[in-house]
Parts: sequence; C-alpha cells; structure tokens
Amino acid sequence: MVVLKSVRPAISCSSFGFDGDQLVPLHKVSFVNLTLPASLLSVRLSSRNNAKLSLVQATKESSTASTNDSAAVFSGENLHQIATNGKATNIVWHKSSVGKVHRQEVLQQKGCVIWITGLSGSGKSTLACALCQALYSRGKLAYILDGDNVRHGLNRDLSFKAEDRAENIRRIGEVAKLFADAGIICIASVLSPYRKDRDACRSLLPEGDFIEVFMNVPLQICEARDPKGLYKLARAGKINGFTGIDDPYEPPLNCELELPQKGNNCASPCEMAEIVISYLEEKGYLQA
Amino acid sequence: MSTMGNSTNIFWQESPVGKLERQKLLNQKGCVVWITGLSGSGKSTLACSLSWELHTRGKLSYILDGDNVRHGLNKDLGFKAEDRTENIRRVGEVAKLFADAGLICIASLISPYRKDRDACRAMLPDAFIEVFMNMPLALCEERDPKGLYKLARAGKIKGFTGIDDPYEPPLNCEIELNQKDGVCPTPSAMAGEVITYLEDKGYLQG
Repeated sequence: MVVLKSVRPAISCSSFGFDGDQLVPLHKVSFVNLTLPASLLSVRLSSRNNAKLSLVQATKESSTASTNDSAAVFSGENLHQIATNGKATNIVWHKSSVGKVHRQEVLQQKGCVIWITGLSGSGKSTLACALCQALYSRGKLAYILDGDNVRHGLNRDLSFKAEDRAENIRRIGEVAKLFADAGIICIASVLSPYRKDRDACRSLLPEGDFIEVFMNVPLQICEARDPKGLYKLARAGKINGFTGIDDPYEPPLNCELELPQKGNNCASPCEMAEIVISYLEEKGYLQA
Repeated sequence: MSTMGNSTNIFWQESPVGKLERQKLLNQKGCVVWITGLSGSGKSTLACSLSWELHTRGKLSYILDGDNVRHGLNKDLGFKAEDRTENIRRVGEVAKLFADAGLICIASLISPYRKDRDACRAMLPDAFIEVFMNMPLALCEERDPKGLYKLARAGKIKGFTGIDDPYEPPLNCEIELNQKDGVCPTPSAMAGEVITYLEDKGYLQG
C-alpha cells in the first residue's frame, strides 16, 4: 500500500465547494486535489473518521474537481487506464452501475449471512440481538431476519406443515442472499430443523458467505426455559408437530460455529456474540 | 401470542438496534422507490441511474428488479394474474424489510395492476414513493429491448402487458416521468428528479 500525502486542501468546509471561483452549496462533501503518479495501478481510499471518500471527475480546464451535472464517481478498478495517459488530474468520464464492491466500500464491511439454528428456547433470537448490538457498536450494519418476524409479513401465507417449513426456509434464504448482496450482515435466526433445507440455503451463497451457527443447547434446558410456553402446550398435546417433542431437529454436521463452546456452558449472549464477531473479523467480513 | 394468518404461536421479536439507529449509521432514511411502467419504458435503466446517483452522494440503495427476483425468491411463480399478485406482494414485503434496514430500496417492476401496487403502498405508510414511467406503448415497442413485444405480436407470448393484458396507470403517484415534446429525458435527468424529491422529503439525511 502506498500512502499518498496530498497538499493541504484548498476547500475544507463541509457544505460548500468551488465551481471555478464561485462558492456553491454541495451535498456535504469536501474536495482534496490529488496529483496521481502515472504509474499508479489502482487507488483505494480510506479515512480515519469513516468519512466517505470518492474520486470525482476533474474538469479539463482546472486541476480542482468541481461539481456540476457531469460529475461522476467511479471505482478504483478503472484507474489503470487513467494513469497511463499521463494526465494525472484529467480523469476520464466513467459510468457504472453500483455493484457489491461499491456497497462494501461505502459500508466498510462485506455482506454475509449468519444462519443461527437450534431448538425453540435455545437462545437464537437472544444471540441475534446481542450480535446485532455488538456489530452496531463497531459501526457495522446488520439486520435480523427472525423466523417469527418474517412469518408476520413475507411468509404469512405459510403454516408449520413440512412443505411450508421448507418454503419458509427457502424464502428466508433467498431474502438473506439479497441482503448479503446489498452489503448487509444478515442474521437469520430461524429454527430451521431440517438439514436439507439449511444446506439448500447454503448453496445459494458464495463459498464462505453462509456462516451456520448451531445453538447446541440440550432439550431439557430449552424446555426448562420455555420462554413462549410452547413446550408446555406441546406436552399437553395442544400443539402437534412441535420440534423437539414430536418433530425432529436435525443438527448440523458441518457448521462454522457451535455455541456455547465446549466447556463454557455459562457463556452470556454478549460473550457468544463476541465469538461470532471474532470469526467475522478473522474472515475479513468487518472490512471492505 | 399472535394468531395471525396461518401461523399461530408466533411472537414479535424486539431488537435493541432499531430503525433510528440504522438511520443514524447510514445518514439516510429507508424508503421504497417503486418504479412502475410498461416493458421497455426504462424502469431498470432509471433504477441503475438512480442507484448510481445515490452512490455518488454516499447513500446506500439496492435494486429489486422484477426479473432478478423471479430468478430467486419468486422462481416458483408464473405470469397468471394470481402469480403476478403474489410476485408483487412478496417484492413489497422484501422492499419493506430493506426500508426497515435503512436502505433506499428501488423496486423496478411492471406491476401492472393498481390493486397490487396499492397493497404495497399500504404496507409502507410514508415510505412508498411511486414513480410512473409514462412512456407511450409505441415507444416501448419500438425499443423492445428484450424482443418480447415481437414475440407477443406473433402470438408466442400470451397475456403480455400492453398487448393482451392491461396496464393500469397510477392515479396518484408521487412522480410521473414523461416525454417532453416527444423526447425522452435522459436517465440521469430522470434520476435527478427522483433525487430532488427524496432530498425535499428528508430521505437523504439521518
């Protein structure tokens, strides 16, 4: 990485810029004039205070970027074309569509799906909330797709019959894929009892982007918690086909993370969230 | 306990990180820009242009394109009337999730039936911006970017919107984009109009 030290910016306020000699209101941007060496192959911009940086077209007349209707922003991939023409401050117009990489740059993270699976009462939603909070405190954008929330909207036409469970998981998987493509860390917190259905969701995403977290909590503990009173109803025969009682839960054979970790059964939701965060950090999801 | 729809024993889950926190993080307010119009009217082109213009302003958007979604979430649906309705309903629900996540979700679909678009609007009070690409059928057919009008005229596609299936234009959309003196505005000019609307209504700040 090469650090470019620019001259002190000619414009340093946050709401105005220069168009020629005229002070004009801008969309809360500041400009810095950079002289780029001709041999430069690519540029990646980063700032300490999370300010969003983009390269803007310079006009042919001046070396100061200006804003007008023809200003464009483009990604670093095209700079090798610009650098070889020797005119460091005249930048070629480039129109592009916004892709995954652009969104990653804006958010300073990589989208992925954290799929939390386990029995009712195993702590999926609790972990999802703790994880979301921990990510937010690091300035990362996450969103929870909770089996319960989604069944109030998108999947309100589905029941708990086997084929509807499969369709519930399929739709959540497809939506989670869209969120990951949008650059968001999508936390899907869904009982998802059947291995085949979870594996089908895994196959929707690029290798590594589907992070399966198994809440491996024994049935007795889940039943003792019974946060929604459902085990009681199931035992009384008032709910049929309840996972763990009279419907199977198929644990993952090859998940990325299993919680709580062995030998640490008393880990708090925050501690478990930090384990997931460490995994994400290690795999590079918490940076662009 | 909720007894909504077909699923009983479901509980709404509260999360400490909510819409307001995400708005602050992204410095924008989530909403849905719903672009409707005939095939070839320029919906996807506008969606891309709008997404790009938002990106230059540091705003996060995501496009839900009728065609893209039909390859994934809605791959089990066809083009019968009830499937079109379900297609729109699901896209509306997903767009609502994206808006809740804080993104400017650009939904670009023919969405020919008024009732279906209005149902999506009802899901998103104060955050649904309907953009009508009001381009004449003749222009759309002349463009025919996917060759579909040709197939429809030859009878090889049935129930094609504009040819043998109706398009019901919006009665009360937020933005209507038309030709001016027979000339179509550029995609970036049209995107500019949408951006101005979003700015005026405060969506481009946290």
